[in-house]
Amino acid sequence: MSEYGPTSSTTCSPAQNRRSQSSSSTTSTTSSTTESQPRPLKPLTPSQRAFLSSALRVNQAGELAATLIYTAQTPPIVAREPHLGPLMRHMYDQEAGHLTTFNQLIAKHRVRPTALYPLWSVLATGLGWSTAVLGREAAMACTEAVETEIGGHYNAQIRQLLEMVAEWEADGYAVGSEFTDLIDTLRRIRDEELEHLDHAINHDAKKAQPYWLLTSAIRAGCRGAIWVSEKV
Amino acid sequence: MRPQALSRTAASAAAGASWLLTPRAAWTRTPAATPSTSSSITSTSTTTRRAQPNLIQPTSRAYHAYTHPAPPPPFSPIETAILSAAYTHVPTHGFSRTSLALGARSAGYLDISTNLLPDGVFSLIKYHLLSQRELLSTTPLPPSPPLSSRVELLTFTRLLANAPVLPHLQSALAIMAQPSYIPTSLAELAVLADEILYLAGDVAVDPTWYTKRASLSAIYAASELFMTNDSSTGFRDTRAFLGRRLGEAEELGGAVRSVGEWVGFNAKAGVNVLRSWGAPI
Repeated sequence: MSEYGPTSSTTCSPAQNRRSQSSSSTTSTTSSTTESQPRPLKPLTPSQRAFLSSALRVNQAGELAATLIYTAQTPPIVAREPHLGPLMRHMYDQEAGHLTTFNQLIAKHRVRPTALYPLWSVLATGLGWSTAVLGREAAMACTEAVETEIGGHYNAQIRQLLEMVAEWEADGYAVGSEFTDLIDTLRRIRDEELEHLDHAINHDAKKAQPYWLLTSAIRAGCRGAIWVSEKV
Repeated sequence: MRPQALSRTAASAAAGASWLLTPRAAWTRTPAATPSTSSSITSTSTTTRRAQPNLIQPTSRAYHAYTHPAPPPPFSPIETAILSAAYTHVPTHGFSRTSLALGARSAGYLDISTNLLPDGVFSLIKYHLLSQRELLSTTPLPPSPPLSSRVELLTFTRLLANAPVLPHLQSALAIMAQPSYIPTSLAELAVLADEILYLAGDVAVDPTWYTKRASLSAIYAASELFMTNDSSTGFRDTRAFLGRRLGEAEELGGAVRSVGEWVGFNAKAGVNVLRSWGAPI
């Protein structure tokens, strides 16, 4: 089980995260100074700022919900099947790292956090706890449904950011290091979320009864929560 | 004169009326020929602090970019020139059309060109609010005191920035409370509270984000009203009033936090007791 142990290289502490961000920003500045003529940077349009605000807000809300789901799932699951302890711990640690990342980004970029914070906390804890009480399969089906939606959601955000960057480059503008860093961060987090999806399927998520009802209900709930969090 | 109607007509004719915006000095006389105006600027500019016009940020709270340049300022260069010159006349003439006309004149434009400002006198008030908020970022802060004392220092600095225009502040508040200006005024108040907490170094992004900003907005508005009637030296009474209100807010926040902690602890303890009895939860 060392693949998801606490020493796993994919686990990224906030300190490491900061280090990697600062190192990538220094490399990008050195590369821009070695260029013969530095290209100008374009101010963000109001719609781009609105998109970035809602993207960071919904990501923070999502990671908050994820940490609470795993927090609520862990005790009932581990009480029945202690061998799942390291896996739950590993997934929780990664989600807590993501939450720290987005908390820092939200504070740094002065984005308003979601106003429904208490509601998401209660719903996420309830979802995690009730699926865990239903059993390991239901809990893993919950993880599978959530991570499927989240993976698609992160992909949509990355796609939109890449379009933004491509538009700047096509117009002859440079791209600020905060955007290259943001895209890298989102890609890393998306990959870790999809890794959780694989773990869930490897631990009998498909055997949950009734699988179709659980996953479709949870996925619909996730989509609704994402839609609301982007706005409020 | 109906300033609203006049400014609308003027704005619609703005495309054809570019001659209005030709600096007056270019075709009549030099600003040096009006010694009375220029001397009044030098006498008042020592008392009023003026912001760098390109630093003023619009009243919105969306994603704040670091590596990309700031969005365009809310006032055009001509508006900034007129308003910053008019602002130096506010201590004497108040937030009035007289100040605007004097400002336009000393910036080298015709008196009538102030009709191109979309909100008339409210534009001057908005300039005051936006430029004084922007100047907060230049406040020297002590290196590592608690957050609350930084908030108090920044809030009092912002209140002191009202001192040069204090005799006219009540009329400004009356204009800000007009129905069509209430949304802008409230939005600017919210952004001011956000700015103070950001500059103080507050990084909380949980529900206290909202309660902190709401309480600071209310406290700032109350202190501003208190200040309009304060005649103590150095606004000592206002500072004491502000300190008391911030202390009360902190006390209330602490009480709410304690109750939350107590409820959370007991809920957790209850669940753990049930688990120890063998309940499958």
